[in-house]
Amino acid sequence: MHAIETRDLTRRFGSRVAVDTVSMTVPQGAVYGFLGRNGAGKTTTLKMLLGLLKPTAGVACVAGVDVARARLAAARQTGALLEAHGLYANLTGRENLDLTRSLLGLPRAEVDRVLEVVEMTADAARRVGGYSLGMRQRLGLARAMLGAPPVLILDEPTNGLDPDGIADMRRFLKTLTERTGATVLLSSHLLGEIEQTATHVGILSEGRLVLEGELSRLKADLAPEIGLRIDDAGRARAVLETHDLTFADQSDGLTLRLRPGQDHEAVTARINRDLVLAGVAVFALAPRARSLEGIYRAVTAAPQAESQGTS
Amino acid sequence: MLSVLFVEIRKLNRSLALLLALAAPCLIGIFAFFNVGRFDEAGPWDRWLTTSVGLWAFFMLPMSVTALTALVAQMEHAPRSWDHLRSLPVPRWRVYAAKLAGVLGLVVLMSVLNLAVTYAAVELAATLKPAIRPTGQPDVAATSLLLAKVLIAAMLMIAIQFWAAMRFASFVPALALGIGGTFFAVAATSAKQGVFFPWQMAVNVMGEGWRHDTALALGGGLGTLALIAAVIHLSRREVL
Repeated sequence: MHAIETRDLTRRFGSRVAVDTVSMTVPQGAVYGFLGRNGAGKTTTLKMLLGLLKPTAGVACVAGVDVARARLAAARQTGALLEAHGLYANLTGRENLDLTRSLLGLPRAEVDRVLEVVEMTADAARRVGGYSLGMRQRLGLARAMLGAPPVLILDEPTNGLDPDGIADMRRFLKTLTERTGATVLLSSHLLGEIEQTATHVGILSEGRLVLEGELSRLKADLAPEIGLRIDDAGRARAVLETHDLTFADQSDGLTLRLRPGQDHEAVTARINRDLVLAGVAVFALAPRARSLEGIYRAVTAAPQAESQGTS
Repeated sequence: MLSVLFVEIRKLNRSLALLLALAAPCLIGIFAFFNVGRFDEAGPWDRWLTTSVGLWAFFMLPMSVTALTALVAQMEHAPRSWDHLRSLPVPRWRVYAAKLAGVLGLVVLMSVLNLAVTYAAVELAATLKPAIRPTGQPDVAATSLLLAKVLIAAMLMIAIQFWAAMRFASFVPALALGIGGTFFAVAATSAKQGVFFPWQMAVNVMGEGWRHDTALALGGGLGTLALIAAVIHLSRREVL
């Protein structure tokens, strides 16, 4: 059983399709980075997983429970930090947590436990109105963890935070699964954020899930690149034409893209040897793995080009 | 259900809604103090208490309910906490029913305070100016009954204000509705059609005969139905 699973999940608002036949699978114990630009349909998908919106079509399951059919049972398996934290400014941090604790019917000690996890015990007696945004986000995270739900859904948890706040939140997120054992579904439009925290990734573009998988495997499957700084790009191209590579010109040299599965170390050595033998001066030759940004750009480019072509 | 209700009560801690619930009856108390003080002769207790209930029913209750429902709703609308509340494993109708119970509880509290503050204000005025010490005994039971009738007749108005405040994220529609309703109730007090006007039913119950009975039956009966309908509608709708 997967922690989260959707099948052909669709949501329309009038004639606009916000989420279009999304079938996603989040394995248990994963930190699933849910990527997409603003308006891609991430929040709508998360709201359907939380039972806040009804799907127009398709199914959303949390811990094997169909959310639309058994919302309360699904909600018992889920903790959520939504984009709007929804904390009461007139109450203290502890009072805010205690309200949700009461609604969930949990023991009082649970508040202390989650405050400790997010390192907010010292500030718990202060009113939330005086908290920084980062502290509110951490308190929201603590509230999501009340009762140790097996699935945590976090919608843009670093939104609006300053660099220190982002670093803090990233530190929490990195160790969240270890500390809580929960599966985390983390939505963001920040690629670097997801790359540093997620084990799995799903990319949403214009309401459609265009890519999904284990992040390390996705990176491995995609061809690595070799950055080349040489004195004569034209001659270098001519020398390397016999190699099975694709080229991209850069201002200070060339970028070579290998085929998936090619032994990039052996290819790098061969390129270096051939260029030197041909009298091309090689200043730098650096193999680099494809980043999440590269993957994102590649998979989101197609739908955009398609939509531009039809408009 | 009780845990949801207690949560609603705890949310009021240090809130503007609670401050309003305490402040509104005090304004009537201040008025009562100066009103009694401007006389040179003693009047009966009932006059002061009935005047106070009249002010409450005529103007202060509809205005307070307008502000109170808006403030209670804004406690959720402003930090956008509906999503959090509605995502919890708690039946949604309980969340709204508890909010409604909280609002009704505060209106009852204001009614009780109205009586208590008026009594204290008249006593204070009489202490400072013994010549105006009211005659007879204050009939607390009769005044309480009148306040209870005012509350029952106001149920339809409370239901409309509650629904508008909870339904719209902006406080403007609820406020406009409340101010408009109170304005027409005050401006057209003696109009025949006022019998059916929700904002006027609370004051109609202070009279006798048809107006009194209609206000109680329509305000209380339709009000209760409207409150139930509001809870059902709010809990079923999607908050986008």
